[in-house]
Amino acid sequence: MRNVLQYLNPIARLGTKQYSILFPLITLLLTCIILEVFVYMFLHDPNAVGLFAIFVFIALIIYFSFRDGVRAGFLSVGITIAYYFYIIYTRRYTGNQLEEGINTTIILGLLYFFLAGVIGWLKQTIDTLIEKEAEEKQRLQAIVQQMPVGVLITDSKGRVVQGNKHIEQILGRKMREGLTAGQDTLLVSEMQHQPVPPSQWPLAQALATGRAVVGKEFALARDKGRKTYVQISASVIRNKKGKIVAAVSIVNDVTEQKELERRKDDFVNMASHELKTPITSMKLYIDSLQIRMKQLQEEKALKTITSIKYQTERLQKLVNDLLDVSRLQTGKLSYTKEQFDLDELVRQVVDELQESTQKKLQLSSVADITVLADRFRMYQVLTNLITNAIKYSPNADTITIRVKKEKEEAIISVKDFGIGIDKMQQKKIFERLYQVTDDQEKTFPGFGMGLYISKEIVTRHKGKIWVESEKGKGSTFFVTLPVANL
Amino acid sequence: MKKIVVADDDEGILDALTLILSDAGYAVAVTTKGEETFRKVTEYEPGLILLDILMSGKDGRDICKRLKQNEKTKQIPVIMISAHPSAGDSIHECGADGFLAKPFDTGDLLSVVKKFLGE
Repeated sequence: MRNVLQYLNPIARLGTKQYSILFPLITLLLTCIILEVFVYMFLHDPNAVGLFAIFVFIALIIYFSFRDGVRAGFLSVGITIAYYFYIIYTRRYTGNQLEEGINTTIILGLLYFFLAGVIGWLKQTIDTLIEKEAEEKQRLQAIVQQMPVGVLITDSKGRVVQGNKHIEQILGRKMREGLTAGQDTLLVSEMQHQPVPPSQWPLAQALATGRAVVGKEFALARDKGRKTYVQISASVIRNKKGKIVAAVSIVNDVTEQKELERRKDDFVNMASHELKTPITSMKLYIDSLQIRMKQLQEEKALKTITSIKYQTERLQKLVNDLLDVSRLQTGKLSYTKEQFDLDELVRQVVDELQESTQKKLQLSSVADITVLADRFRMYQVLTNLITNAIKYSPNADTITIRVKKEKEEAIISVKDFGIGIDKMQQKKIFERLYQVTDDQEKTFPGFGMGLYISKEIVTRHKGKIWVESEKGKGSTFFVTLPVANL
Repeated sequence: MKKIVVADDDEGILDALTLILSDAGYAVAVTTKGEETFRKVTEYEPGLILLDILMSGKDGRDICKRLKQNEKTKQIPVIMISAHPSAGDSIHECGADGFLAKPFDTGDLLSVVKKFLGE
């Protein structure tokens, strides 16, 4: 029964592009026969047919042109007109009646053709549109399904419309329609050991604020204590009027990436520790040798020993930097805060570095400033900035270091007259493992970790670090630190 | 002459420490094995023990704990050595008296040694 209704219902056939010719042909012929039988055998008045014919046939023409398109519409019109003429002929019209009948039939015929054409054309256009949309949807679905990340699409209320197979794998549950982000506990989750309420999920937040959430990290607690790390982004989709109509969330499983990162950090950590022991031995041997040579007054050997010592210290610094970077990555770099005089620290660093360079380190405008910070880490930052200034100014002979106080901030600046940094590179120099090159693309020795570490340290102290520079003229690095309130 | 026992599983560092400490005028006894440390300490009766945290097969902190529990050895100061700077926080639990983070300078080493030998 249902199939029959589906077959007869023109709305249900929209978009199918199944245009039947046989069905309208048979139906119309049958209608003609039934009408003839009806008027001859039951009404016994052959002329009564005209009362029904117009209404019955116009209904059939509309029906078939909407159900089966232009061709079926025109076929229906053709049969109708032929039947009208058959009536005129068989009812033996004469004179005025005949002429009027023919004229009416011709006018009706033209009207019917127009009607069938318009309706049939509309129907076929709608079919094409629906088919196109369906194809588009299918293509989109295929893309969503094949994406190597989890995709979840909801309506404006946060109800799940669609999720691909990746998201089901990542979240470990079926994304059936009807689930609602922000209400249902879509995911058992935690972030830094704190369960995350459903309303804090990026999708719910994007829907609530209308703004995109980018790359938020979560740890999903899965069965057997296994943790899945995911990076979730979400944004809303608006219609032309700017109204939110849907939201989409991209969930990326970064567990493997995290594990690799952890292993890499472990390796760097382990390697640095292993390197520290031989460095310690070397330093002790060098010191012992130095004492002996001093006793023997071997000036030449002593000079060599000083060079070896300097190189060993460089090696030690590199190993320490490597360890610091790996600790920064894992958030394990610890800070101890103490109050100290910034002026005194800067003086110490400048004095120490002056010993190993031919360049003049000019220290000026030093005020009496007390800060609350990690003295060793700030020592590291200052050493870094001044060593860089020396390293990157091969043809200049002065470095200027200033310390001053402005409002509640201590400002340290290190100015060199070296190769300088162009605008493009200025943004990148504080990134991990980035190194400045000069005009000949020559690199300078080092790992490119110093400024990255310095930035992290200064930021952790609620300070700022930045550079002002012009290519070829030199650079000035600034560091600010909050002043301790005594 | 003041006596020092050095326990570390790295031959290189043992050798270097011996060199520096004997140059500085101390008598040095070394060991690379955790178990041997007790025997060395009881035999040698040093004024100071330098103990590496990461001994092969044994945690230096456990050795330190045992030394500090023994009536005969508990008064001898123990200085722990480690390449892990954060290990410094955990040494007080085992009763160690001082900590040296690798890589250290001769100056650092001698000043710590002098301090605990009461010089």
